Amino acid sequence: MRKLLEGSQAVAEAVRLCRPQVVAAYPITPQTHIIERLAQHVADGELEAEFINAESEFGAASIVQGAVAAGVRAFTATASQGLLLMTEVLHNIAGMRLPVVMVCANRAVSAPINIFNDHQDSMALRDSGWIQLYAESNQEAADSVIQAYRIAEACELPVMVCMDGFYLTHSFEPVELPTQGAVDEFLPPFHFARTLNPATPMTLGGGSEPDNYQEYRVLQHEAMENSRAVIEAFDADFGTQFGRSWGGLLDGYRLEGAQTVVLGTGSLMGAVRDVVDRLCDQGRAVGALRLRCLRPFPARELVGRLGSAQRIIVLEKALSVGAGGIIAAELRAALQQAGITTPVESVIGGLGGRDLTPDVIEAVVRNAGPDEAGVSCRFAPQVAVHHEAHEEHEE
Amino acid sequence: MTNKQESISRSLYEIRFHGRGGQGAVSAAALLALAAFDDGFESQAFPKFGSERRGAPVEAYVRIGRTPIRAHNQVYTPDAVVIQDATLLRSEPLLRGLKGGGVIVLNSAQRPDDIDSDRDDLRWIVLPASRVGERLLGRPLPNTVLLGALAAVTDWVSLAALENAVTNHLARKGDAVVKANIEAVREGHRLALELKGVHYEELEGHEEKK
Repeated sequence: MRKLLEGSQAVAEAVRLCRPQVVAAYPITPQTHIIERLAQHVADGELEAEFINAESEFGAASIVQGAVAAGVRAFTATASQGLLLMTEVLHNIAGMRLPVVMVCANRAVSAPINIFNDHQDSMALRDSGWIQLYAESNQEAADSVIQAYRIAEACELPVMVCMDGFYLTHSFEPVELPTQGAVDEFLPPFHFARTLNPATPMTLGGGSEPDNYQEYRVLQHEAMENSRAVIEAFDADFGTQFGRSWGGLLDGYRLEGAQTVVLGTGSLMGAVRDVVDRLCDQGRAVGALRLRCLRPFPARELVGRLGSAQRIIVLEKALSVGAGGIIAAELRAALQQAGITTPVESVIGGLGGRDLTPDVIEAVVRNAGPDEAGVSCRFAPQVAVHHEAHEEHEE
Repeated sequence: MTNKQESISRSLYEIRFHGRGGQGAVSAAALLALAAFDDGFESQAFPKFGSERRGAPVEAYVRIGRTPIRAHNQVYTPDAVVIQDATLLRSEPLLRGLKGGGVIVLNSAQRPDDIDSDRDDLRWIVLPASRVGERLLGRPLPNTVLLGALAAVTDWVSLAALENAVTNHLARKGDAVVKANIEAVREGHRLALELKGVHYEELEGHEEKK
């Protein structure tokens, strides 16, 4: 049954259905409602887990690292500075190949301090060895959490489910939650082969010398490469069982015959779909492609979907300061490697919660052109103040 | 669940709430979206606030539609604005983008002097919601009173669905709070129906009459 749920609640319910035994977190806006809800479930006896209110995000990440190494499913969530404070531990978790699942409630990073949404926080962790899935809606965020545990445990890779702060975490929208029985069927119990056990002592992440350190990275990279097929297969499986799937790695919209394609990620793609419909109604051949999975980066799949486009606009909510758009740069590399010379326009917008409205997105599509020489990206315009309705009336 | 799908004439209605931290604008938006969903519509609600603190201006947005709502944007051209604190009229253009024929539900005990608008196409519903809240809830909380009024003058949500939303969403706060807020919704609904077409100056008298 569909219910109108706040995004944080939808995700917390999905986490509960995955039966984690340890939940550790430190509160930070806009993630806090997720953890509050889980704490309530533990207190009410609806989730049999140890809830640990950590002394910091560094502590929270360390706790879930230890819990998964000890063989139990665990969960944490954070955002922004909290994610950055976890950074050292997140690299450790990935290096130890621990299947931790976390939610990042995407928020801008300081300074200046800003509690609103963009993707700078999780994008900064893109090279840490975590799979990153970005949700467009609360339904997808909840479903992706359930998929994330299965992906993480099958690949022995950690998964970060990224959902836009406020736009999703604080939005009430219709969500269908699966039953416990159905989730149990989809997600088998967790058995970690390398569980730490005093009876059979073992070290995880211990000292490594120059003669073998690189091999760890090679194996990690291979595991990440191999996870593409797993992410796609489990999303398809999820679709068979629950009637919803999210495109696996990429989610195309009206791509057939599209000459111009807007590529982006996260909740802004809802407005992009509305703009695509608007422009198609006006006879323009515009489509959209949503990057659901940033890591592993679906280079081949992107080339496959974008190969016939004549114009590609990458609209993203993060900036590699001094370089430009992050997704745009990676897409350019992928296309170049495939011998495709379509120019990629890099547009940065929505930083610090600035709303990417349908009108702004439409303006980006209409006014875009090749990047100026020496400029790696351009910035979306500020939202126009809407007085149209008023003015029309006065006439 | 009552199906009101036939009763709205357009495919999407957008509502913007203006309040101050602590007045319940965010909860009001959630309650409205929950009620519309209960009535069989697609709906969405979300807030925009600065760093959470009492007294700071807060906005919250609701969309009610016939088809799934994909965009997660703020509301710029609302069909209605609900103003929980008349003092906000001094500091912000609260009517910005309001569509022709739009509805304003304002919490105020008298005609505000600070309205910067010469528009004569708007429907103003002005009611002393904080005072009603004080009486029914024991605290000057205007939000459920104003929701009842909005339902009365727009017909976008049913009173029954609003009452359901209050019952479910506020359940954790206890039966007394639920009961008082249902009274507040009903009183707002009743006052708005009575006030239809009534001039602001008569407000005081209307409330006393009860």
